[in-house]
Amino acid sequence: MKCAELIDVRDVDESSINIDPIQVGGRLTPEAMKAVISYGDGYSVCDHCRKPFRLDSIKTPPIDAFHRDLAAFVNMDVARVVPGARRGFQAVAGTYVSKGDPVLITALSHYTEILAIEVCGGVLREVPKNEENMITPGAAAEKIEAVSREFGRPPALFFLDHVDYQYGNLHPAKEIIRVARQYDVPLLYNGAYTVGIMEVDGKDLGADFVVGSGHKSMAAPAPSGVLATTAERAKEIFRTTAAKTDVTGRTFGVKEVEMMGCTLMGVTLIGMMASFPRVRERVKRWEQELEKSRLVVEALRSIEGTAIRSECPRRHTLTRVDTTGSFDQVARTHKKRGFFLSSSLKARGIAGTIPGATKVWKFNTYGMTPDQAEYVARAFREIAIENGLVVH
Amino acid sequence: MFILTDLRVLLRETAPLHRLDQQQREAAEALITGLQQQVNALREELLL
Repeated sequence: MKCAELIDVRDVDESSINIDPIQVGGRLTPEAMKAVISYGDGYSVCDHCRKPFRLDSIKTPPIDAFHRDLAAFVNMDVARVVPGARRGFQAVAGTYVSKGDPVLITALSHYTEILAIEVCGGVLREVPKNEENMITPGAAAEKIEAVSREFGRPPALFFLDHVDYQYGNLHPAKEIIRVARQYDVPLLYNGAYTVGIMEVDGKDLGADFVVGSGHKSMAAPAPSGVLATTAERAKEIFRTTAAKTDVTGRTFGVKEVEMMGCTLMGVTLIGMMASFPRVRERVKRWEQELEKSRLVVEALRSIEGTAIRSECPRRHTLTRVDTTGSFDQVARTHKKRGFFLSSSLKARGIAGTIPGATKVWKFNTYGMTPDQAEYVARAFREIAIENGLVVH
Repeated sequence: MFILTDLRVLLRETAPLHRLDQQQREAAEALITGLQQQVNALREELLL
């Protein structure tokens, strides 16, 4: 079946259990799937846009209320929807970082934070990770001190990923943010792997900015996300344009500069909104998600030669596993070489691994049913046994 | 279209084997019946 001449229908999640590390938290809810069908046309949410002609003022559909709900969801004062977490990073960096300013990231920061800083001419400085691949408050304090000595001023901004994309490790965000506040360094909490799948309380954390990803963790189409902040910071980050053109004298008073006016004007926003009631509820079931994650992780650990590179016990559903001593040994002599693992998984209806990857790779169990988690756990063990590996 | 979406969700929940338990079978039955009724209504309104 085809969507168009060159576009095959996509049925990965209908035909398989998807364990792709970045896709699973962004799968649409039934409500979002239906809303997407209805609101697929370009500016579809703008049917009832009236003065002051800004997205967050639209009442039908209730986009204005959704913005308030989003802010409350992460316990911040003001929120805007953005085209992906990365555009949230860019808006914050664009407000607070000038050329030559030092900006703190961590050794596990996502590349889009680095690009957001680069656009502004900021100077990157990384908080190192420790041997357990964790970012610690002590390391953050040391780095702020070092940056202050080097530049004669503290960092202009600090980007902290609560859960990093490499290991899925849950870093001590609250304690690190406390350190940043002691040095008066504004902190952006990157919740791309938390907002929408686990409970996030921005005020309790003490963050100046909370950024989430709609397509990564909020069951929404890409690109979508949320940027939330305090009332005080909102005046800066969501400042409106003061520009006036020279010939026509035009002004655009209500448009927010860093948002480039309106942000998500159609299917992305409506998908995010339609999923929101379920998303708001699903974060309360995070412990159940962890149980499924641990089930699959334990199955992998039972295969001799396999090591979990993420922190254990797991506190997130995204996990980095090293099978150099197990599946990669099989790959050396298997007729399908390195493709045997993804091929064996595919034959069992499990998708989302990178074909050819048998050394170090990632998977994500988020959203599986308990039966599906058991099926995946069993599949890994079966593949190992079939290929002569020892399973304990 | 929305009934098809609900069936799509059922396929996702039961992937990859699509072995439905009793509750899921009943849900599928209701959805397919509803779909047939919608198709009949479309046929009557558009073609007859």
